[in-house]
Amino acid sequence: MRNFGYFEEGKVGRVSDWQLWRRIFSICWTQKSSILWSALLSLLITAAVLIQPRLLQAAIDSFMATDGADAAAKLEGLLNISLFYALAAAAAFGGGFAQVVVLEHIGQSVMHQLRSKLYNHLLSLDLAFFHAHPAGRLVTRLTNDVQNMNDMFALVMVTLFNDLLKLSGILLVLYLTNVRLALLMTVFLPISAVITVFFSRIAREGFRAIRSQLAVVNAFLQETVSAVGTLQLYGREADSMGRFHELNAEYLLRNLRLIRLFGAFMPLTEFISSLAMALVLWHGGGETIRGELTLGELTAFIAYMRLFFQPMQEIARKYSVVQSALASAERIFDLLDISGRVIEPAVPLDGDRIRGEIRFEGVIFAYTGEDEQGRQTVLHDISLHVRAGETLAITGPTGAGKSTLVSLLVRFYDPTAGRILLDGHDLREFAPQTLRRKIGLVLQDPLIEPDTVLANIRQDTGLSRSEVYQLLARTGLDAFIARLPDGLDTRIGEGGIDLSAGEKQLVAFARVLCRDPAVLILDEATSSVDSQSERLLEQAVRAGFAGRTVLIIAHRLSTVRHADRIAVFDQGRLAELGNHEELLARQGIYAELSAADSCRRT
Amino acid sequence: MHSRIDKPAPQAVSVDAFALIRLVLPSCRRFRRQLLWGFTFLAAVYFLQLTIPRYLKAGVDELAQGTATSQRLAFLSGCILLTAAGAGILRYGWRVLLIGFSRHLETELRDRLIEHVLRMDQVFLDRRPPGEIMAHASNDLGAVQMAFGMGLAAAADVAVMSVVAVLFMAHISPSLTLTAALPLPVLALISWLLSRELHRRFDRVQAQFSLLTEFARNTLVSIRMIKSCTREEQQSRDFDRLGQKYAALNIKTAVIHGLLLPVAMLTGSVGTLLVLHSGGRMVISGVITIGDFVAFISYFAMLALPLATVGWAVGMIRRGMTSLARIGRLLAEESALTASLRLEEPRPAQVLQSCPRISLRQFSFSYPGAVSPALSAINLEIGPGLLGITGRTGSGKSTLCRLLIRQYPAADSSYFFAGHDVNCLDPAQIRERISYVGRESPLFSGTAAENISLARPEATIEEIMEAAHLAAVHEEIMAMPEGYRTRLREKGLRLSGGQRQRIAIARALLADRSILIVDDALSALDAETSAEVFAAVRARQRGRTLILVSHNLRLLACVDHVLILEQGRIAEQGSHEELLARSAYYEEVARRQQGKEEDADAQLRLF
Repeated sequence: MRNFGYFEEGKVGRVSDWQLWRRIFSICWTQKSSILWSALLSLLITAAVLIQPRLLQAAIDSFMATDGADAAAKLEGLLNISLFYALAAAAAFGGGFAQVVVLEHIGQSVMHQLRSKLYNHLLSLDLAFFHAHPAGRLVTRLTNDVQNMNDMFALVMVTLFNDLLKLSGILLVLYLTNVRLALLMTVFLPISAVITVFFSRIAREGFRAIRSQLAVVNAFLQETVSAVGTLQLYGREADSMGRFHELNAEYLLRNLRLIRLFGAFMPLTEFISSLAMALVLWHGGGETIRGELTLGELTAFIAYMRLFFQPMQEIARKYSVVQSALASAERIFDLLDISGRVIEPAVPLDGDRIRGEIRFEGVIFAYTGEDEQGRQTVLHDISLHVRAGETLAITGPTGAGKSTLVSLLVRFYDPTAGRILLDGHDLREFAPQTLRRKIGLVLQDPLIEPDTVLANIRQDTGLSRSEVYQLLARTGLDAFIARLPDGLDTRIGEGGIDLSAGEKQLVAFARVLCRDPAVLILDEATSSVDSQSERLLEQAVRAGFAGRTVLIIAHRLSTVRHADRIAVFDQGRLAELGNHEELLARQGIYAELSAADSCRRT
Repeated sequence: MHSRIDKPAPQAVSVDAFALIRLVLPSCRRFRRQLLWGFTFLAAVYFLQLTIPRYLKAGVDELAQGTATSQRLAFLSGCILLTAAGAGILRYGWRVLLIGFSRHLETELRDRLIEHVLRMDQVFLDRRPPGEIMAHASNDLGAVQMAFGMGLAAAADVAVMSVVAVLFMAHISPSLTLTAALPLPVLALISWLLSRELHRRFDRVQAQFSLLTEFARNTLVSIRMIKSCTREEQQSRDFDRLGQKYAALNIKTAVIHGLLLPVAMLTGSVGTLLVLHSGGRMVISGVITIGDFVAFISYFAMLALPLATVGWAVGMIRRGMTSLARIGRLLAEESALTASLRLEEPRPAQVLQSCPRISLRQFSFSYPGAVSPALSAINLEIGPGLLGITGRTGSGKSTLCRLLIRQYPAADSSYFFAGHDVNCLDPAQIRERISYVGRESPLFSGTAAENISLARPEATIEEIMEAAHLAAVHEEIMAMPEGYRTRLREKGLRLSGGQRQRIAIARALLADRSILIVDDALSALDAETSAEVFAAVRARQRGRTLILVSHNLRLLACVDHVLILEQGRIAEQGSHEELLARSAYYEEVARRQQGKEEDADAQLRLF
């Protein structure tokens, strides 16, 4: 029941999909020696289990049902058989235990490997992918779907293997005991198989209906629980309750339907085993009367038969688990097969001596949604030259494409058409990682690790404490650090002190500073920052990035007016370019924005 | 914020048996006939099933004595078939009745859960984030359903089967039964101990699983950040470590789990061994017949399977009870708001004033568990007109608004609504008069029209369009695939923060309440649009009360009276102009926003 918000729309895999099986086997191949061991254990367990009725039969035939021989010898023989029996029981116990552990080990190793592979794969994909796939569903792939597959390993594949082995073992013993009776039993095999497949077909439909309704119920619940305040405010509690009640009732109904189905299936399989028993008694008893079968053989036969139906029911029961695991496997593999559109060049340029000259040449960018309809062009034919060492501000109304431009620069996406040159080289000639080290990006909502300020700032750059401190002092950020209770050693994030939005921004900036990038981008970094932090940040940018290329994205005009040049974007186009005074003089969009932005006092 | 990892829910839930019974008693009572019949059928099934070996015994005995005829065998086989058919029908009956009951129980509990949550105040909701409530509603309810369905059935299975089988066996030979049953108490003890340990380890696995999930979620949510800091390798290492620990914990669990079934099987084998040994002696010495012996073995074999599941059933029931206890604790939690109401005092039937005045007197508030108060000693009169509130992040602006709309409890005699102490009023009465739009308002999966008309589902499409028009979102809605009938949370449709905010504004405008609170709800709009929307809101609310929380001084310039909050206190108040002249904070914000920065600039250049 580990589903943690697992609300996947109901889907079940096809057991007959050989491609899928091949792929599953190929990922298990790394564990081949463990698998071999577990197969050997299976043999041991099956043999130990199957020999037990045989021993009983021997006891009855040789020592109980015979007349005449002296009681002491019979007792002696009985004792020997009991000892063998004890041995078999011990082997079954030891083997069973070892097998469960080995199997879990295989399952967990394979799943761990798959999970890490999938995680790394996701990390390597470009942002366009994340734009089209909600995080929640990807998390499900990483956790629940992988877990689902593990359930198949730990629970199913092995037991299935054991059950099949046991089934064939029993059949073998039955044939060895009495061919005619065994043939009679064999008839039940296809009958049971047909019934199982028939029911699991119907059950699959039922499961699908239940899961999709559960998804609806949980989605509604999630929505309601996250919006209690609003619902209370507008007095919609009773209405929500009513609607939820209906959805919930439908879910109940679908469940009850499936329960009735299984209610019919389970007794039917039981009945079949009783039918087989009756047949054996009737037919086998007749043979015994005619002296063609010993009494011991008949009883052994009856005992094996009971064992015969047990694995068959198990297989039927696990069929649905296999189906759901296959569906999970399919989803995981589908995800693994998606390749990122941002491709690392075979021989990437190193970024050691980047001066920071950027040139956009006819750049067009469109998000591709899951279907063609979701395609929306965000940037139209942008050509723009940013000189090395220049401070360029980019502004414009919401949705003008400002942030997309930045995303292109660090290769979160690649342009749909046109190219971007850094120091004369197409960005596609750099590895994305290199770019992101050489282009420092400060975003609106920075990531704070639950750790000390120092650890948050230096991250993996390997700078010493004093080097970090020098950098901070040079940019005036030491004033901010001095305000914190334990200076650089103050713990922040979860479990530490809560920084304000502005203070987080300062930490994020210091972090970028440590990486010594050639280009700095502030993407709406000051939009939700108090004025004190904003001033500190501006001052730090001036001190730390003098002579380097700085791009400032902001919709607040006060932030942009001192830039060397200002690029005004509107609806994905570069509308105006120039410095503050020039743009005001043009009486265009900038002037308009500026008028709206400045005081509307009456 | 993204790096936050939720602590796993506390695992050690003390299970108070009486509280649990009280929780399920209403459902049990309602379905008592169903339960009664279910258990009766269950018992009957086992009775019938256990008679089958008796027919076998008769057959084998007669064969051994040589008295059997083929007619007699056919008769016995027929008996087996008939019995099996009867058992099959009854088995269908109990499955439908008992497992069906567990589904009914689950449905009822889920209904109660959402009903309860909808009644709760924000104090509760802060403590129990949606994710946690969802975990209760899915995982815990699932565990309860399993316990009351399969768990209960398996337990009944074991109980009925053992009693009946032991009776049959005792009928053949009491002393042999005693011998065979010898290992059973040991099995019970071992399986109880093992399942307790299993449970403990399983909890650890669960906790690790939530860590893993949370880590993955955080990564994917902040993928842009991770990529821009080139933290992929680090993340990947951390994830790998979490995954490794998860795998190790699972294997540890499997060690216990791997013992459960083999132990049960071993017990069965030991029992059979004892029967073989002592029973065989009895046959040899003529105390029992071979037929007796065979039947005895069959009965014992029948016991083996349910016994093997006993540990599994016990584990399932324990888990279910723990989950039930968690749900019970959630359902037992009281709303602090409801508790603060003085219900015994006569309450005014309705608030008569057409535009109720709000008075706060020495109004203070602390979040539960917080050291310093979020609001302290606020004195404020809010009547018709425009009130602006500003201040640094965390100064208590939103807290104040959320107290006004009664999301948190207020102390007695500190908050008066239309002259009544709010604790004497039904919170719904107050909320009927107030609209509130926050920085982030939830959207629902219904259509755009339904989202806007949340407060007034009976509103006509014209009214809805008018509200949308005022909120400057009409054209964008019209541009959606199905206009006002577009479902807003559908896959593929992505609304921007600004669109969401404007839809929420339209919703509040359509609600048409005497008091409207706009709490930073224009933050995602550009200057022009926010000014436009605000002008429309102002016109609509003319003659009534409008409270604006904002950092944007352009908007605050239009307001009659502005409060500046600082650390939960009113630091300054007055008109826009007064504050410009008086408040250093206000003046600085104004200077930065209005671009009159020459002085500040000169200072900066010094660095």
